[in-house]
Amino acid sequence: MGGFDPVLILRDPEFRGLLVRGFEMTIIVAACSWLLAISWGITLLLIRLTSSRVAGAAVAAYVTYHRNVPTLVQLMLWYFGISSLLPSAVQDWLGDHNGEVIFAVISLGLCQAAYFSEDLRSGLRSIPHGQNDAAKALGHGYISAMRFILMPQAGRNALPALINHTVSLFKNSSLAMAIGVAELTYAAREIENQSFRTFETYLIATLLYLTSSLLLMALGAWLNRRAQPAGAH
Amino acid sequence: MAYAVFQIVSDNWLLLLVGQYPNGPLGGIAATLLLSLLGIGLAFPFSVLVALARLSSWRVLRWPATGLVYTMRGIPLLMIIFWVYFLVPLAIGQTVPGFVTMLCTLVIYEAVFLSEVVRAGIKALPKGQMDAARALGHSHLGAMRFVILPQALYNMLPSIVSQFVSTIQETTLGYVINVPELTFAANQINNQLLTRPFEVFFILAVIYFSVCWSLTQLANRLERRIAAKRAGGLAAMPKQMTARQAPAAIEPPAREASP
Amino acid sequence: MIKFSHVNKFYGDYPALVDIDAEVKRGEVVVVCGPSGSGKSTLIRTVNRLEEIQSGELFFDGRNVHAKMSGTNLNRLRSHIGFVFQNFNLFPHLSVLDNITLSPIRINGVGRKDARDKAMALLERVGLTSKALAYPAQLSGGQQQRVAIARALAMEPPAMLFDEPTSALDPEMVGEVLTVMRSLANDGMTMMCVTHEMGFARDVADCVWFMDAGQIIETAEPAKFFRKPEHPRAQRFLSDLRGH
Repeated sequence: MGGFDPVLILRDPEFRGLLVRGFEMTIIVAACSWLLAISWGITLLLIRLTSSRVAGAAVAAYVTYHRNVPTLVQLMLWYFGISSLLPSAVQDWLGDHNGEVIFAVISLGLCQAAYFSEDLRSGLRSIPHGQNDAAKALGHGYISAMRFILMPQAGRNALPALINHTVSLFKNSSLAMAIGVAELTYAAREIENQSFRTFETYLIATLLYLTSSLLLMALGAWLNRRAQPAGAH
Repeated sequence: MAYAVFQIVSDNWLLLLVGQYPNGPLGGIAATLLLSLLGIGLAFPFSVLVALARLSSWRVLRWPATGLVYTMRGIPLLMIIFWVYFLVPLAIGQTVPGFVTMLCTLVIYEAVFLSEVVRAGIKALPKGQMDAARALGHSHLGAMRFVILPQALYNMLPSIVSQFVSTIQETTLGYVINVPELTFAANQINNQLLTRPFEVFFILAVIYFSVCWSLTQLANRLERRIAAKRAGGLAAMPKQMTARQAPAAIEPPAREASP
Repeated sequence: MIKFSHVNKFYGDYPALVDIDAEVKRGEVVVVCGPSGSGKSTLIRTVNRLEEIQSGELFFDGRNVHAKMSGTNLNRLRSHIGFVFQNFNLFPHLSVLDNITLSPIRINGVGRKDARDKAMALLERVGLTSKALAYPAQLSGGQQQRVAIARALAMEPPAMLFDEPTSALDPEMVGEVLTVMRSLANDGMTMMCVTHEMGFARDVADCVWFMDAGQIIETAEPAKFFRKPEHPRAQRFLSDLRGH
């Protein structure tokens, strides 16, 4: 097996290429799903806030489904299940154009949207009721109150949870390897299979994940601090 | 499609339930539940230790524990599974069945995540409890054992059940290392049938949903019962405490980005 | 019994206790009073080292409380000092009886039956035998505080410390707690009480310490203190108190 030598892996151009492309893919999948998740999550919240009981129930069902079915199963249902229901022309096109990445982004994004919408909803609920009263007393309409008073506070309250779930989303990108997406964990396994240097390979991948996660958490903590108004703890 | 679903379930229910047992290792739902129960059960004592270490005033305990928690929170579970898959046979000197590897991973992973729940529970108690215990002469560990932990763990029961639900969902990752749990069984069925992937995975999703959702309902019911019990205590609390200290005892553990 | 010698305590730069020199003799009842923020609670919490001091020495029953000592020794020392909190701090997951017997059994090694008998005797003393099997949540504030006193007494301390024992109670319950404290004093217990209850101080205390801004400004017998305090701040404090 030779001595412990992580630099060897990094120096080999083929392995380095695999690692870099894998890490890039991780970031692409994570970023795209995040964008999908946050926009769809906000939309879900807005739908839920409408007075329609059907809409509220639909969103609640959506959230319940995505929280109680494991992420990996959701991925499989999309990639193996739903894809088989699509017309064969679409299936062919997807097969040629990295369909697994598209399904991974859709699946992870829709799943996290449920969590994000719940975080924002909790953020909204944790605003003291007096704020709503004060807004009304000052003459704000519903939209005005939401826009200037309630949503900013909701976002601030929800920030820790949103950051937590963003880090989760980043880590969940690794699940995409089960449907064949060539992200970082997939690349690590590939390199390990070829080089038999399991320890070094895993170590590099682990360090990449760890630094990225810690960076995200640090960024989140910084955002959290900045979001607090002067004087608040 | 509904007929196909019914057909698949009636043909394969045994496989989904117990895998290939007794002609092979235990699999299916039985394996999933066994893995989850053992995982969280064995992790529990370790999680209390990690939580206590994180709250300790001794740096030699606090730093490694905090480091462990941050590391586990920063790496995907899949990566941890591969590490354990690689290291355990190396440590023991012989190959280990996937079930055991998955169990080891879950114990380590849940020890860390459950420790966050325990830590939140401990921190949510009023400071006066620890003060009173120390004033009576109890050591730190004695206070933890007789006063703090009994209360914290009882208050945290709903969160512990939620964590159990998470554990069940984590067992699905065993699929990647061929642990014969429910997801693996479903894939086996799919690979045999080939013609009805949507129905197969739909069934899989329904099964997980039923199990996890029922447990979540249980957790909610527990939470209501415990909150009612705590509210009873509130009526007799001194009036200053009702405004000042009580909220810390009632609120669910804060969602922390950086613990 | 309790001796402060040049005790100083700082929170960062803020002086919480300034050059405290005072003594509570055996069998004495001392009342510590003063405006809020004067350091009374901090003072009493240094006696069983729930608060640390930066300089000076504090002796309890001859033992140097703030000397460098092992955790075990500190625990043992604390078990000899009775402390009653403003917020009672009863253990909600234990019955009244268990609250009282927990520490004698687990720390002093008292047998279960003996601990029970002692606990029932103490409950009789505070007038709550009927509540032995109740839980704190089922008791009123005054009842909880009386249980807290019994809990502290169960460890058979030579002295009892009270940190504003009635401040968190509704007015109609203050009396029942003060009655218990009075009877303790009459039985010769050494007591140090931080309290606003001037009636109690006048009737029961042997000495009143008036504190302001971390210092003990005036010490006097209650009769003298309440009729004619010397220090202007003490005078202002008493007139504010009477004004209500």
